[in-house]
Amino acid sequence: MRGVTDDPARGASVRPLVVGLGHPARHDDALGLEIVERVHPRLGESGEARSCVSDGTELLDLWEGRELVVVVDAVRSGAAPGTVHRLEVTDLPVPPVFRITSTHNLSIADVVALARSLDRLPARLVIYGVEGERFDPGVGLSDRVAAAMATVVDQVLTEVRGPAPRDGDRGSGENGHA
Amino acid sequence: MSERTIAVNYIARVEGEGALRVRVHDRTVEEVQLKIFEPPRFFEAFLRGRSYREAPDITARICGICPVAYQMSSCNAMEQALGIPVTGPIRELRRLIYCGEWIESHALHVYLLHAPDFLGVPDAIQLAKVHPEAVQRGLALKKVGNALMTLLGGREIHPINVRVGGFYRCPSRDELEGIRPDLVRALHLAEETVRFAASLTFPKIEEDYEFVSMRHPDEYPLTEGDLVSNRGLRIPVSKYEEEFEEVHVPYANALQSVRKGGGAYLVGPLARYALNRDRLSSRARVLAQEVGLEPVVTNPYRSIIVRAVETVYACEEALRIIDAYRPPPEPFVPPPARLGPAVGAGISEAPRGVLYHRYRLDADGLIAEAKIVAPTSQNQKRIEDDVRGVVTRSLDLGDAALTDLCERAIRNHDPCISCATHFLDLELIRD
Repeated sequence: MRGVTDDPARGASVRPLVVGLGHPARHDDALGLEIVERVHPRLGESGEARSCVSDGTELLDLWEGRELVVVVDAVRSGAAPGTVHRLEVTDLPVPPVFRITSTHNLSIADVVALARSLDRLPARLVIYGVEGERFDPGVGLSDRVAAAMATVVDQVLTEVRGPAPRDGDRGSGENGHA
Repeated sequence: MSERTIAVNYIARVEGEGALRVRVHDRTVEEVQLKIFEPPRFFEAFLRGRSYREAPDITARICGICPVAYQMSSCNAMEQALGIPVTGPIRELRRLIYCGEWIESHALHVYLLHAPDFLGVPDAIQLAKVHPEAVQRGLALKKVGNALMTLLGGREIHPINVRVGGFYRCPSRDELEGIRPDLVRALHLAEETVRFAASLTFPKIEEDYEFVSMRHPDEYPLTEGDLVSNRGLRIPVSKYEEEFEEVHVPYANALQSVRKGGGAYLVGPLARYALNRDRLSSRARVLAQEVGLEPVVTNPYRSIIVRAVETVYACEEALRIIDAYRPPPEPFVPPPARLGPAVGAGISEAPRGVLYHRYRLDADGLIAEAKIVAPTSQNQKRIEDDVRGVVTRSLDLGDAALTDLCERAIRNHDPCISCATHFLDLELIRD
């Protein structure tokens, strides 16, 4: 988790945010945190990065006022380890593949549903779920998950550096659907 | 003879996951097994060979909800081993960051995990639809707890500013003043939380608990004190392992903590409140009386009110510490120049109860042995007893309703199963 900004997201910030979820000592569950480690130094002024190892509701505060948030988490759906799932959150519920609580209290799917109920989604929310292989206590990613890292880092950086979101996006579309 | 089995893939709204198996035969509950697969054994092994200095940072990673508790118990143990006295403003700052963790953890449990049980909704997401103001209040309260942890810990989760002997950097008076308005607001929210919790409807159940908590001459316990119980126990932390032992339970592939020669006991808010009510701050005590909270709460469902009262306490205590704060000349007390082989035990009151650490250090200050007993390991057997009682009293209910009651009985004690386990399957067998 070194090198990730410590600045709390207090107050509105228009810069895109990348958040990695996970547990640092649950093997592949640390993937979101590892991705953020690698993304952070390459973001420059284009965005901010944070890791989140808590219960997930912290996300609601972190993404407050953001135009774009990219969340990276490990998932477990039965797909091949290292498989990358990408989801842009819309009015539809987050599919079950993201409903893997692993060691988090609320899954990212739960947090999105909670945020939607409370009208607290960011204008745009993109979720990357990388299929993990092992979630038992211990450190180090399994090989196939580690091999997927470079691709995911590039994809996340492309999300952040892509065309700026249109003005006036907030409050429309997926935002405000309760 | 018919046998019915119900499996629920996890017990919702418990931090992390685990498994519960209940077997009923001829209207008798024959077996209740709460499986907690993974106590912090990985970390105990991981710590071996590491410097004593690393224990706070490493153990903080065990739990995403209570990292400060792990830091404080490990610091207490190391400081006891090495003879490092921590007093004055540094000690106060430790209480302050701990207040942040209590506010954060209690707000999470009260509103997002426990409240749905009383309001006829399955989870926090549905609660947010029918009572959005309650969930927003909980989230606002939790945010202030996080902010306090960030201010002192350098990071909201897994604080990195805590070290053996104190802190790497202590805040200025102005920095602490800056969070004061947030804490005043949090105190109001916490007071509303007590009224909210007290307005809920509770099943009428009383349990016969042996309560175990810390006890300090002047303070509601957080970081310092002896261990006491409502059945006459009073020991310094150094005697912990003379009174408590971990026994191996094969079905859980884990250790359960029990009183030596005795049985289950309970740590956490109910125990702290029962044994330290006279140490609460003024608003917390007055509010507890105002809402009719009994001096000793033996109805586990009413723990939601006790957590709310403790949240008021944490806000008041944080404000008291901020108002009296004078930065220390040095942010930490240095270790002795010469280390030697040493053993030290430390405890603190995690939001979920007593968290015990013991370390044996070699001549170079490297960890030769680590022992960590989490609150959930200590409560596990007592939670099984609660579940046994629930099932015994409710045998005529259908499986779904009974399963729901079992889940509630577990959630009452806010087990932090993520410290200790993975998936929770509920299996109810009637034959």
